[in-house]
Amino acid sequence: MNNYKLITKISFILSFLLAQGNLFAETTTQSDTTNIVLAKTKSSENTKASIEEDFTDDEDIIEVSDPFESINRKIFSFNDKVYFYALKPVARGFRAVIPENGRVATSNFFSNLLAPLRMVNASLQLKGEDATNETFRFLINSTLGLGGLFDVAKKDFKINIKKEDFGQTLGHYNVGNGPYLVLPFLGPSTVRDGVGILVDGAYLEPLNYIYDEETGRYMLVKLIDIETTISLDKDTYESIKKDALDPYIFIRNAYIQHRAGAVEK
Amino acid sequence: MILRNITCLLITVFFFAFSSVAFADNDSPTAQVKSTVDNILLLLKDKSLDTPARREKIRALVNSRFYFRAMSQRTLARNWKKASAEQQKEFVSLFSNLLENTYIGRIEAYTDERIDYLREKNKNPKRSVVFTHIVTKSADIPINYKLAKKGDQWLIYDVIIEEVSLISNYRSSYAEIIKKDGIDALLAKMKEKLNTADAS
Repeated sequence: MNNYKLITKISFILSFLLAQGNLFAETTTQSDTTNIVLAKTKSSENTKASIEEDFTDDEDIIEVSDPFESINRKIFSFNDKVYFYALKPVARGFRAVIPENGRVATSNFFSNLLAPLRMVNASLQLKGEDATNETFRFLINSTLGLGGLFDVAKKDFKINIKKEDFGQTLGHYNVGNGPYLVLPFLGPSTVRDGVGILVDGAYLEPLNYIYDEETGRYMLVKLIDIETTISLDKDTYESIKKDALDPYIFIRNAYIQHRAGAVEK
Repeated sequence: MILRNITCLLITVFFFAFSSVAFADNDSPTAQVKSTVDNILLLLKDKSLDTPARREKIRALVNSRFYFRAMSQRTLARNWKKASAEQQKEFVSLFSNLLENTYIGRIEAYTDERIDYLREKNKNPKRSVVFTHIVTKSADIPINYKLAKKGDQWLIYDVIIEEVSLISNYRSSYAEIIKKDGIDALLAKMKEKLNTADAS
């Protein structure tokens, strides 16, 4: 009898490993497509053996249409000041006063509120599994996770969040970025993603429903959301500003690459 | 009954033998990346070292794992061939320093987080990608290392953070500067950046 149990156990482990292998295979191909889209690697042309020669195989430049660059740069430096003189000091206060776990819970709470948004956008892209996962995550985290404070779905059910928004939905249906935009307060975006923000905001952001009646309270809640995010971030913006020759270009290219990756997923 | 026992034992032995082979491979791309990253993290946590001594040791480790020449070449791309040998040499040295600073700065910020090595994908015997996650309390940050084999060492020639390839980002940014002001202006800007970084 014990033997049977052992065999079942082993075959279970094996099948689990195999299943995992499949999963990995799938994600691998996905990230491959991303790279192809981004870099259009011309490895086939590259038959020369020399290793040094080999590294010129990928020469493509990320192409960004940025006709509003001069205005964008002005808004960029405005946002920079808002970040350093207003948002960051408050975020430091958050770090000092609220323990990390508290801030993680707050961030989980706000993230959970956006689960319907992710679910709807996954559905619009006909990603059935992702939509199901987000629904499950929303139900589990809203109940067992005490209103979204704890990400029980990830911790105990191993179902990870997958970000989807209307900008990605448009991208999924081959809508191009359009010109690059830097939005006041919101930061890097494009015309496509800006439209995405408006559509998502009109219907799917629960916080917006308190906007009409109590603008003051809305601003406060939104601010808590943003400050929590900044307080949990490890000074990414500071590091880019410190290291990049031209932070504006660096962030613009990073944004375009990051979004292309998000659309491909 | 005995037969069944033996089969069972065989399967178990086979399974463990197989899995230990998979994990004991010290020369795999994952093992080599992990060993470098682990050693850097150990140095960062080592309170007995003063900051300059620690930085020096970390620099040496980073230098042994990053393929700076290849990274430089990939970054300049078409402009690499247009540059003179002297400009190439200067670029490699400046770019290495910049990348080192960036990488060390970032890894310092994440010293206390867990790193999961998810898997590796070997495109051919000389190329591999190691997929990792930095697991923070609020998010998992995907970081992939692209590696090339040189001798018996796997060297990093690109780092992809949240779908953003560092090299491809630098390439596009630098190409714009070169197009506007030329390669010497780029080199001057890099020098300036390094000087201000050292001063701070």
